[in-house]
Amino acid sequence: MAVKVSTLDERIKLTDSADSPLDTQEYFINMGPQHPATHGVLRLMLKLDGETVREVIPVLGYIHRGIEKIGEHSTYRQFVHLTDRCDYLSAMMNNWAVSLMVEKALKVELNDRIEYIRTIMAELERIQSHMLWWGVLGMDLGAFTPFLYGFRDRELITDIFEETIGCRLTMNYIQPGGVMDDIHPNFVDRVKKVIEYAKPKIDEYEELLSGNVIIQERLRNVGVLSADKATSLGVTGPVLRASGVPLDLRRVAPYGVYDKVNFEVAVGSVGDCWDRYWVRIEEIRQSMSMIEQLIDNIPAGKTMLMKPAKKTVLPEGSHYAQLETARGILGIYAVSDGVSDKPVRIHMRSPNYNNVWSADEMTRDSRIGDLVANVSSIDIVVPDIDR
Amino acid sequence: MLDFLFGQLVATHATFDVVTLSDRTTQALAEDPWLAAGYALLGLAGVGGFLSLLGMALIYVERKVAAHFQCRLGPMRVGWHGMLQSVADAIKLLLKEDIIPDRADRVLFLIAPVFSIIATTLGLILIPMSPSLQVVDLNIGVIFISAVSSFGVLGILLAGWSSNNKWSLLGAMRAGAQFISYEISVTLSLLVVTLFAGSLQLSEIVQSQQDGWWIWRGHIVGLVAFFVFLIASTAELNRPPFDLPEAESELTGGFHTEYSGLRFSFFFLAEFINMFIASALAATLFLGGWMPFHIGGLHTFNGLMDLIPPGLWFAGKTTFIIFLIMWVRWTFPRLRVDQLMRLEWKFLLPVGFINLFAAATLVITKLYFFPW
Amino acid sequence: MSYIDPKKSSRSAIEVGGVPVNIVVAPRGATGDKREGLLTIFYKSVKSLLTGMKVTIGYLVRPSTVVTQQYPENRETLKMFERFRGQLRLVKDENGYMNCNGCDFCEKACPNGSIILQDRRNSVSGKSELERYLWRLDSCTFCNACIQACPHDALEWSDGFEAAVYDRRLLVYTLNDYAGPPVNHIKRFKKKAGTPEDRVEELLATMEPRHQYGGPTPLSGKGMPGVPPLKTD
Repeated sequence: MAVKVSTLDERIKLTDSADSPLDTQEYFINMGPQHPATHGVLRLMLKLDGETVREVIPVLGYIHRGIEKIGEHSTYRQFVHLTDRCDYLSAMMNNWAVSLMVEKALKVELNDRIEYIRTIMAELERIQSHMLWWGVLGMDLGAFTPFLYGFRDRELITDIFEETIGCRLTMNYIQPGGVMDDIHPNFVDRVKKVIEYAKPKIDEYEELLSGNVIIQERLRNVGVLSADKATSLGVTGPVLRASGVPLDLRRVAPYGVYDKVNFEVAVGSVGDCWDRYWVRIEEIRQSMSMIEQLIDNIPAGKTMLMKPAKKTVLPEGSHYAQLETARGILGIYAVSDGVSDKPVRIHMRSPNYNNVWSADEMTRDSRIGDLVANVSSIDIVVPDIDR
Repeated sequence: MLDFLFGQLVATHATFDVVTLSDRTTQALAEDPWLAAGYALLGLAGVGGFLSLLGMALIYVERKVAAHFQCRLGPMRVGWHGMLQSVADAIKLLLKEDIIPDRADRVLFLIAPVFSIIATTLGLILIPMSPSLQVVDLNIGVIFISAVSSFGVLGILLAGWSSNNKWSLLGAMRAGAQFISYEISVTLSLLVVTLFAGSLQLSEIVQSQQDGWWIWRGHIVGLVAFFVFLIASTAELNRPPFDLPEAESELTGGFHTEYSGLRFSFFFLAEFINMFIASALAATLFLGGWMPFHIGGLHTFNGLMDLIPPGLWFAGKTTFIIFLIMWVRWTFPRLRVDQLMRLEWKFLLPVGFINLFAAATLVITKLYFFPW
Repeated sequence: MSYIDPKKSSRSAIEVGGVPVNIVVAPRGATGDKREGLLTIFYKSVKSLLTGMKVTIGYLVRPSTVVTQQYPENRETLKMFERFRGQLRLVKDENGYMNCNGCDFCEKACPNGSIILQDRRNSVSGKSELERYLWRLDSCTFCNACIQACPHDALEWSDGFEAAVYDRRLLVYTLNDYAGPPVNHIKRFKKKAGTPEDRVEELLATMEPRHQYGGPTPLSGKGMPGVPPLKTD
C-alpha cells in the first residue's frame, strides 16, 4: 500500500482561495500552545472554513525534555522516577512498566504481596486519572462544576497515596524488584472508605453529566473513529476500546494479579465521544470492583526483592515490556550492553503520542466546539507526548 | 372572618401611584428649578452609582454562589467573608495597563466597550423598581428595552472585529448570529405580556397585574412565555449554557480576548448588569414587578400582602430569577454553535409563535383568570 | 435524536486472540422501531436537566460539604502524613550526633545531582567522615532514592512543606550542623580497648559547626557580582 507522506509545508498551504469578494476563504489559526482546551502546551494548527474545521495538525515538542536521552545516563532505578514526569496521571503505571521491563530481563520472580500492592495502586491511580479527566471534560464543554467535583473526589485517592508513599502526584513508588515502602497500616481501611464514598459519587457524576441531554448532544456521533482507523493509527486504551476493539492488556496479556480478578472490559460500539466518555466512567466502576476483590486478600511477604543500592545490569540485548496505563498501552524498550548499569538506548512507546494523531481523523469537517470535545475525550497528557 | 379581624387594617385595597424621577423633574421645573436639577442629578448619579455598585455586588454574589455549588468557599480574604473582594478587583482593574493590540482598529477598539455599557445603562433606567423608584417611564417601554438590548451586540461585534484576532472575530460572529436569533424569541414572549396587559408601558404592565401575576393568570401560556423568555434572555446575556461568544475553552475568551483593564471591566460590568436587567424584566412582566402577590377578589389576603413594601417584592423576585440564572450556569455545559441555532429556530421560535397566537386567543375570549 | 439512559449497557462474552473477555457495551439510546416519541424525549431531556440541577443545589444548601481549607489560618491543625516527603534532613540521636558517615551512596543514587557530599579524614581516628552534606532543594524531585539507598538510616524526611523563599540561593542547604565523626565512629572509638578518656574528648573536639547556609558555592550565601550578599537569618 502506497502511503502518501505530506510534509508540514504542504499541509499548511491553503487549498481554497477566494476568487470573488463573496467567496469564503479558508484560514489557519493556532490553537495552543497557550490555550485553555489543550491541557498544557499542545499546539494544534487548525485549517478552518468559518467555524468548520478542515484539518487539524498537531505540532509537538513544546514540553520536550529529552527524558529518553536522560534515561541513557541514568540507572534503571533512576529512570523510574523520570517516568513519573511523563504521564503524571498514571505515574504508578509508568513506574510499573519500567520495573516490569527490568524484572522481565533479569527474570525476577515477585511474591504475591508485591503484585497485589502494585495492582491495587495502579487501579487507584486509574480511578483518580479518570476522575480528573471527567472533571476536565466537563470544563472543556463549558460546565465548570464537574471540574471541582472530580478534583474533590480525586484528592481522597491522592490522600491514600500520600499516606503510604509520601507524595501525591509523582510518586516513584513501584521500583524494580518490588515497591518502595510497605503499605501503611491504615491503607486497607482508607481504601475501603474511599471506595465506599466514591461509589455514590460516580452515580452523581452520571446524574450531573452523563444523563444531561446537552452533554449527550455534544458527545453523541461527534468525533467518530472507526475500529479500522483506530487500529491503523495505533490508538490504544479507552479510545481504542470505545471504537469497539476490546484490547485491554490487563485481560488479554495479564500482568500483576489481573488474571486473578474478575472484571469486564468496557467497550463502545460507534467510536464517538460518547463511547469514549462512557467507557471511562465504566472503567472507574470496574477498577473499584477490582480493588474490592483484592483489598482484603493482600498476602504477607517482603516488599522489595532487589537491593536498592546494588548495581542492576541487564543482560546484553534489547528488552521490552508493556502494560495498560489509564490512557493506553505504555511500552518501555531498553537496549543494554550487558556491562553498564545504564541502558544504551531507552525508548517509551507512550499511549498519548499515538492517540493525539487521531484528533485530525475525528475532527475533520466538524465544528471548533467538537474539536474541543474530541481532544478532551482522547484525554491527552502533553508531557507524555513530548517526553 | 379575616375581614372581621383585620377589617380596619385592610379595609381599602391599596392603590399605587407611579411617580418616576423624570415626572418629578418635569413637575418641579415650573416651580423650583433647583429641585428639578436636584432630581435630575439624583437620577444620573443614582443610575451611575447603582450601575457600579450593583455590578460589584452581583459579581460577589455570583462568586459566592458558584463556590458553594462547587463545595468551595469562594472569596474569603478581603473583608468579612470576602465582601470587599469586588472592590479590590475593581481597583486592580482600574490600575491595570490598558493594552491596545498592534494593528488593531484603534477607534473601534476604544469605543466598543462604551457601546456595551451605554446600552446597558439605557436599559437600566426603565426598570420600575417600586412605585416611586423609576427613572423614566416611557409609554413604549417594552419596545425601547428590546431595541436598546440589541444595541449592546454592536459593542461586542465591534470589539471582535477591531481586535484583529481571529478568535475574537469568531466570537463576535457567533455573538452576532446568536443575539439576532434569540432577540426574536425574547420579543415574542414580551409580546405575550403586552397582549395581556394591553400596554407597552412598564409601569402599566405592573399595574395590570393587580389581580395576579401574568405567569399564572395567563394559564399555561404565561408559563411558557416565561420560560421562553428566560431561555432566550440567558442566551442574549451571553451566559452559560449559551456563552458561545466567550466560550473560554473554545475561543480563549472570544470577543474580549484582547481587552484588559478598564475596558475589559466595562464588558464585564455590562454582562452582569444585563443579567440584572433581564431578571428585573422577567420579574416585571411575568411576576408582577413590585406588585405584591395578589389574587383577585381576596381582599384580605391582598391587603396582608400589601404590608410588604413594593420595593422588597421587586428585589425578592429579581433575586430569585438571578439565582435561577446562576444555578443554570453552574450546572449545565455549553451548547455547540449549530445546536444553539437549532434550539432557537426549530424549537423556541415555533413555540413562541404558537404561544403568541394562544395568548391572542386568550385575550380575545377573556379566558385568563380575573379578566376584569 | 434520542435520549440515552446511561444505565442501559449490555454485557456479553467474546474471545480476543483466544482469551475469553467479558465486555460491557456502551448504551446508545433507542434507534429504529424502538425510537421514542418527541414528547417522551422532551420529557426525559427536561428531567435530565432538572436532575443535574438537583445535584448542584444539594451542595449549595449543605455548607458541610465545603472542602476548602483556609490554609494559613489552619496551620495548627494541619498535619502531614507521617511519610510525607517534605524536606530532607539527617537523622540525629539524642546527643545531637548524626548517623551519616559520608559514604556517598545517596549521592550516587540521586538521579539529578541534588546531593553533593564532601568528606574529610579525621585526624584523631583516621577515618573518613562527613565534611559537608549539600542538598539542593531547587533541583530535588523528592524521589526518595537517597533514603532508599542509605545503608545507615542516616536520612529522613521532615514534614516541613513551607520551603518557599525569595532567593534561590536559600534553597541550597547544608544538612549537617557539624563536620565530624558520626555516632558509629564515636561508639567504636570508645569501645576500642585502652582508649583513654582524653582521646575521646580529642575526637569530639574535631567537630566543627556548619551553618545551614554556609556552603562553598556562590549559590549558597556568598556574594556574586551584581547580587547582594545573602541574609541568612
